[in-house]
Amino acid sequence: MAENLETVNSALAATQKLRCSVTRVFTHLREGVKSTKGEVSKESMFIRQLQEALTAVTSDFSELEKLSSSLHKFTDGIPMGNSGLLSLDPVQDKTPMYTQLLQSYKWSTKLQSHASLAGAMLTQNSLKRTSVPSGGLSAKRRKTQPTCHATPAHLVDNVVTTVDRSFNDLSLTVNRPQGTGAVLQATVGRTLSAIVILRGLLIERVIVRGYHENLHKDNGTLDLWTPSKYRVFQKLTDHAMAAMLHYHLPHLPEIGIRSFMTWLHSYTTLFSTACHRCGKYLNGNIPPTWRDFRTLEVCHENCRQ
Amino acid sequence: MAIPVNPLSQSTMSSPSMQEYLLQGSILDSALESLLHRLRGLCDNVEGPETFHDHEMVYILRGTPSPAILRARHALDHPNIPWQLRYVGQSEVGDKNRSTLVRSCIDCATSDNLSSFLVEMGFRLDHEYVIKGYLFRKGRMKITVSKLFRVISPGVTEEIEAVSLSHLVELSVVAPAGQDAVGDDMRSFAEHLKPIVQMEKMDPKRL
Amino acid sequence: MGVTCVCQWPVPDNKSVQQVVDMIAKRVELLGSNKSGTFCVDCETYQSSPMMMLQKTVHIIHNSEQPMTSYAVMEGPGSAANCLVADTMFDQIMQRLKGFYMPKKTPKVESKGQHYELGDFNVKIGTVTLGGHAKGILLEIEYTPCVVVLDCWNLLTEFMQGFMASHTPSLPSYLANRQDANYTPMDTIMQYLDHFNTFTGRKVVQQPAR
Repeated sequence: MAENLETVNSALAATQKLRCSVTRVFTHLREGVKSTKGEVSKESMFIRQLQEALTAVTSDFSELEKLSSSLHKFTDGIPMGNSGLLSLDPVQDKTPMYTQLLQSYKWSTKLQSHASLAGAMLTQNSLKRTSVPSGGLSAKRRKTQPTCHATPAHLVDNVVTTVDRSFNDLSLTVNRPQGTGAVLQATVGRTLSAIVILRGLLIERVIVRGYHENLHKDNGTLDLWTPSKYRVFQKLTDHAMAAMLHYHLPHLPEIGIRSFMTWLHSYTTLFSTACHRCGKYLNGNIPPTWRDFRTLEVCHENCRQ
Repeated sequence: MAIPVNPLSQSTMSSPSMQEYLLQGSILDSALESLLHRLRGLCDNVEGPETFHDHEMVYILRGTPSPAILRARHALDHPNIPWQLRYVGQSEVGDKNRSTLVRSCIDCATSDNLSSFLVEMGFRLDHEYVIKGYLFRKGRMKITVSKLFRVISPGVTEEIEAVSLSHLVELSVVAPAGQDAVGDDMRSFAEHLKPIVQMEKMDPKRL
Repeated sequence: MGVTCVCQWPVPDNKSVQQVVDMIAKRVELLGSNKSGTFCVDCETYQSSPMMMLQKTVHIIHNSEQPMTSYAVMEGPGSAANCLVADTMFDQIMQRLKGFYMPKKTPKVESKGQHYELGDFNVKIGTVTLGGHAKGILLEIEYTPCVVVLDCWNLLTEFMQGFMASHTPSLPSYLANRQDANYTPMDTIMQYLDHFNTFTGRKVVQQPAR
């Protein structure tokens, strides 16, 4: 760097020198020939002096050229591309851009490494949402699969009405707040109410609230997010999520939705049935919230094992 | 932490008694449109007036020295909102200095078994009517333009007939006692409604 | 607002009301409940004036759980108890009916005390006072997620047995008549009224099903 600095210094000196000589040429030209009487000697002297000045310029120029060629391009040394220029900005206090840039770079590297680790992890333990092995999809199934989340609205309505009719104390109403996706309001007996969000015929999200809790926000739209204030129904929301995954059948979405509703319907007796395992109503001040996915057997969450 | 509340001390003791300042007028049905038009310009309701369709029953409990009268009112177009029970005191119309009729008044929202409750308290239904109309607001003033209907067979609010060929115009404010400046505001507002309607303080005793 | 049972806890002769209240509070706290404030239910009684033909009683009851509400309960011979739910302005209207309904001379009854929360259950331990004198104890046990008495009575009983043991009440007669209806805060008030009536020594009016 030191010798580099020396070269730069001499190059600067050379530039100054060049500037001087160029100025001399122009002053000389500006003064012009002193006498107007056309004396040849004076005229030729003027030309000779001009020639001398021009040679000085050429030599100074070639010297500067020589020096500059010995200087290698400065920015090439920094591997950061344009961002490296930012680091040269002397007014760091005013623009903390460079430090921020470094920070975000560090984060993105970290993110990338974590993501790749997680990716490796997940490929080892794949979460199966279908009973069909992911590799062994037959050509026929692969064709039917994409249709289930794009079921036409009247088909969804049909399925919902048949499910609605098949249970006495389960009532379902369909809403379409965002156009295509159906949102079901389910009321089970006088025990609970639930919001089931569908994508086509697949259940995407379930939230369970008390029978006397509001399903609507103050402005009259469905409240899809606020969890119930009661512990029982918070627990039930968790179980309903598990059930939703269990009954997820992308190639037979109708059966999935019907089994889910059958399961949900079994909660009419949430408060009036004792646990089949321990024979009690309460465990940790919560009634038996678990219903087996196959047998619909009633038990406390803690009595399951 | 819930704040300990003593409901009795909160409501009855501290809340001041409310008074209703009232001016009334009447217009022929043919003048309705021009009055509504004028009110639309004068009042705060930007998107036009609210409409209402109420059923009012006046209950009376006879006794000495004077009978007690309570008014039970409920909206026919919004069956789910609470019933209103209203006590209206003696009007202080005699005072010449006052620009409006002033009377004490208590409004109370109740559940829908109000009429059977009043009957059990010993009240008798004196008369009932259906009232349909428009409601405007201007600051704290309430302006109603409404038509009264007679109920032909008791309790059946579907079969009604108009009492007259005119609309009742009422301008009222319910405010804590002693705020007599309200009356002057109402007077100046009433000036704006001339000559479509002449708002006056009515003396119910004269009728 | 869920199904609620109001019941009386007997005070043995050798103990003061406060001692028993402390004992119950300790039990409830040992179950792991949190104190969540105080509550107060009070009742004022108006009697129809002798001029009137009918002998009627109107109780005005307030519950600090619904601070802006007044419950007016009408009792009279030969008629079912009728409860009007109104806002607190109803108290002022009652005062305007002075000539017809007068406040009873007997002191005001109220039940006042600590409020506990235990999961979805609420327990309130109230000391009943009659004109400032402690008369007894009323417990209020509420199961908030459920609104049908029939559904959760067994569950509620099991919960009450947990800390009340032999004092666990059977289904209150008022609730027995309304087992299948949706529970409302009014039902809690009616239970309190039944108990207040026994404390003040008024003849308990049998309430037929409405």
